[in-house]
Amino acid sequence: MKKVFLAAALLCAGFASTTFADPAVGSKAPALTLADANGKTQSLADHKGKYVVLEWVNLGCPFVVKHYDSGNMQAAQKAAIDKGAVWLSVCSSANGKQGNLTADEWKKAVADKKINATAVLLDPKGTAGKAYGAKTTPHMFIVNPEGVLIYKGAIDDKPSTDKADIAGARNYVSAALGEAMAGKPVSTPATPPYGCSVKY
Amino acid sequence: MPKSIRLFLTALFLPLSVFAFGDEPAHVRPTLISEARSIAPGQPFWVAVRLKMDDQWHTYWKNPGDSGAPTRITWKLPAGFTAGAIQWPLPQRIELPPLVSFGYEGDISLLVQITPPTGLKPGDKIELAALVEWLECKEICIPGEGTVSAAVTAAAQPENDPALGEFFSKARAQLPIEAGEWTFTASEGDAFIRLTATKPAWLKETIAAASFFPDENGIFTYTAAAWRADGETYSVDLMKSDLSTATITRVSGVLVSRDGWRGAGSERAIRVDASVSGQAGAPAQRSTNGLLTALAFSFLGGLILNLMPCVLPVLSIKVLSLIGSSSASSTERYRNAGAYVAGVMVAFWTLAGALLAFRAGGEQLGWGFQLQSPPVIAALASLFFLISLNLFGVFEVGVSLTRYGGGKGEGPGASFSSGLLATIVATPCTAPFMGSALGFALTQPAWAAIAIFTSLGLGMATPFALLALSPGLLKYLPKPGAWMESMKQGLGFFLAATVVWLAWVLGRQAGAESIIVLMAALLLQSVGAWIFGKWADLSKPVATRAIAIVLTILFAGGGVAAAVFLTKGTPPAAEGGAGVSGWEPFSDARVAELRAAGKPVFVDFGAAWCLTCQVNERVALGTAAAAAKFKEKGVVTLKADWTSRDPAITAALARLGRSGVPTYVLYPSDPGAPGKVLPEILTPTILAQALDQMK
Repeated sequence: MKKVFLAAALLCAGFASTTFADPAVGSKAPALTLADANGKTQSLADHKGKYVVLEWVNLGCPFVVKHYDSGNMQAAQKAAIDKGAVWLSVCSSANGKQGNLTADEWKKAVADKKINATAVLLDPKGTAGKAYGAKTTPHMFIVNPEGVLIYKGAIDDKPSTDKADIAGARNYVSAALGEAMAGKPVSTPATPPYGCSVKY
Repeated sequence: MPKSIRLFLTALFLPLSVFAFGDEPAHVRPTLISEARSIAPGQPFWVAVRLKMDDQWHTYWKNPGDSGAPTRITWKLPAGFTAGAIQWPLPQRIELPPLVSFGYEGDISLLVQITPPTGLKPGDKIELAALVEWLECKEICIPGEGTVSAAVTAAAQPENDPALGEFFSKARAQLPIEAGEWTFTASEGDAFIRLTATKPAWLKETIAAASFFPDENGIFTYTAAAWRADGETYSVDLMKSDLSTATITRVSGVLVSRDGWRGAGSERAIRVDASVSGQAGAPAQRSTNGLLTALAFSFLGGLILNLMPCVLPVLSIKVLSLIGSSSASSTERYRNAGAYVAGVMVAFWTLAGALLAFRAGGEQLGWGFQLQSPPVIAALASLFFLISLNLFGVFEVGVSLTRYGGGKGEGPGASFSSGLLATIVATPCTAPFMGSALGFALTQPAWAAIAIFTSLGLGMATPFALLALSPGLLKYLPKPGAWMESMKQGLGFFLAATVVWLAWVLGRQAGAESIIVLMAALLLQSVGAWIFGKWADLSKPVATRAIAIVLTILFAGGGVAAAVFLTKGTPPAAEGGAGVSGWEPFSDARVAELRAAGKPVFVDFGAAWCLTCQVNERVALGTAAAAAKFKEKGVVTLKADWTSRDPAITAALARLGRSGVPTYVLYPSDPGAPGKVLPEILTPTILAQALDQMK
């Protein structure tokens, strides 16, 4: 009988690890603790008091490539950091799946592509991705200094893989960050994200 | 440059015109096909951008869903030419949890209408070209692009390529039809919008299942929504997405069903454009009426099982042995009773699991398990017929399993295995009930199937559990006797009645002849059952049993196969083909002759490969009501069969300004009056109105 209960308990635990959250804008942002590409452990709580932008990334996905090859993502990262925010790029690709890179490979990619994020966090188990409900790459979240989620969704309003679309697109992230930092309410707090599926 | 070198260079560079950004060659090959080979100034014509996708690779619909990007076409046309919007064929759901996308696999065509300028010079050669950009995904996504082109000639009169008639007809059948006589309304609930559909009065078939694909992303979430039927209306609750804060005023998109919106086998997609008004009640519970009845019957069936010859005599002995020694406390009895019930349930759930696995495997193979499909009805009728023969005593099933008697010992473990084994031991008697539950459960969603088996198991286990809990009830138990055998046989008649009902349903779906086919099949099956009963039981020598089993498989198996494969049949309504009651073959001479005589004429231009034509004939033209209406108005009906693209018919179509099928023209009795071309999608109402407004 004991064995049956143990088996049932394990099954439930296994089930819990696969559940996919969907935090609402205005609620407390889920906790995040991951190792970055330099081996240092970073958590969301470390950056309390600052705006944190979370960017789900997969350098093999053509939608992400569109923003990185054009320099658009790097520019957005620099602009946010210059304004005092923290930018964390998170990779939730599972081991062996597209986008998954080792810490060393990430260090190399950061240098090659001139990535301006504060840190690149490695999430091969997908726990952070599932806690936030990250479905696509790119998928963007903004957390305010009090730890509340104020934006979730797409990076801009042109869901395509075409670099030419970036110029005319409205960047939701910089808009939301600008409004929040100016003390105004975020006009577009949630949008449907676009991109490739996160390779859990 | 010599021709051979030119050819060589073309071959060399051709692959480069289609490529994907990635390490691999493109998994999608686009081509441009023009329906018209000659185009006239100002006269629009259709082209198809055909996408051939490698196995398991897909591209996306105009709303790609949670991930992906729609295919884009950038036209490179000569001056003055304009291209319309892409007409998207019906999409399918691509589920990679937690994401749901909308797109295509295999071979599809995106139809676009192109309008040439009015100043087009006949005789000019025109090159139509386009840059097609798409996202091809299997597990990873790769953007792809290719340039496609097709050549047409300008002429005074437009002319379609008859060889492409079938290709374009099939492509058009994939497009969503207009709502027509279906009415769609939408009402608002708390977290959802309820889309309600009311079917036209003349449509007899039901829509078993349908999925909604919204035109725009971000308004609704894409988790599967249950399609509920309530008499003549259907509804589906679309959950609002928290990404959109604006009020939803319209529901626009496409509903795609399994069977078709004008009856079985008809076009599968229909456009929905409804404004949201009014309040909807709480999200409706899944339509449980039918299921509650099924569950009640399953429970009852389970209870009745305890009265069967192989269960009842043993029941009281089992109870007494399980409550065992006089030292058993009430807690122990509860535990033992619970463990026994658990054992019975596990046996039933295993069977339910096996059933679902079988069905899932079958669905992979493309088998359908809907009650709208004649082979499924025939299979169910065969199953119930065989079970009734078993109840009558023609043959026995599972007797060898009675060797595995109940477990020994006391305690919860022994009770559990006892429950498990009791179910197995009772198989000769439970098989009929399990079989019926099985047959019904095959057509239901997974959770319903499990519920049915749970109910059956509970019905069987409950009396035992009750008796174990209070053994005093034992004195109320009926005494075993010959009456049990009579009761078992009597139950066989109930199942036989079910077979009669199923035969009636089959007749409605596949015509009266299919009932005869079914009866012949059941006859074969009864021969097999008789052989099995007489010569395959345990008391006969192995050799006899072996031969008997082979013969049983031949007869019974052949019978079931005949039932399933020979009842595909055509529905009762007449086909309206040439030679079939009232429809003459078409010829220009005959039309002229009839018109000169002052008779109204109706011509149906169709082809065997044209789905819309077949559906129109079944739904609107071939019905008894239509035949009566034609007779009443004195209209002579002619059928033009364009299956082999007869040039005389092609010419007749061209004179009507048409170049494809279906085409329907009604000539009034006045020989001088022009004929009226009816819409391509016919309904009984449209036909009746046209005939009434004639003359």
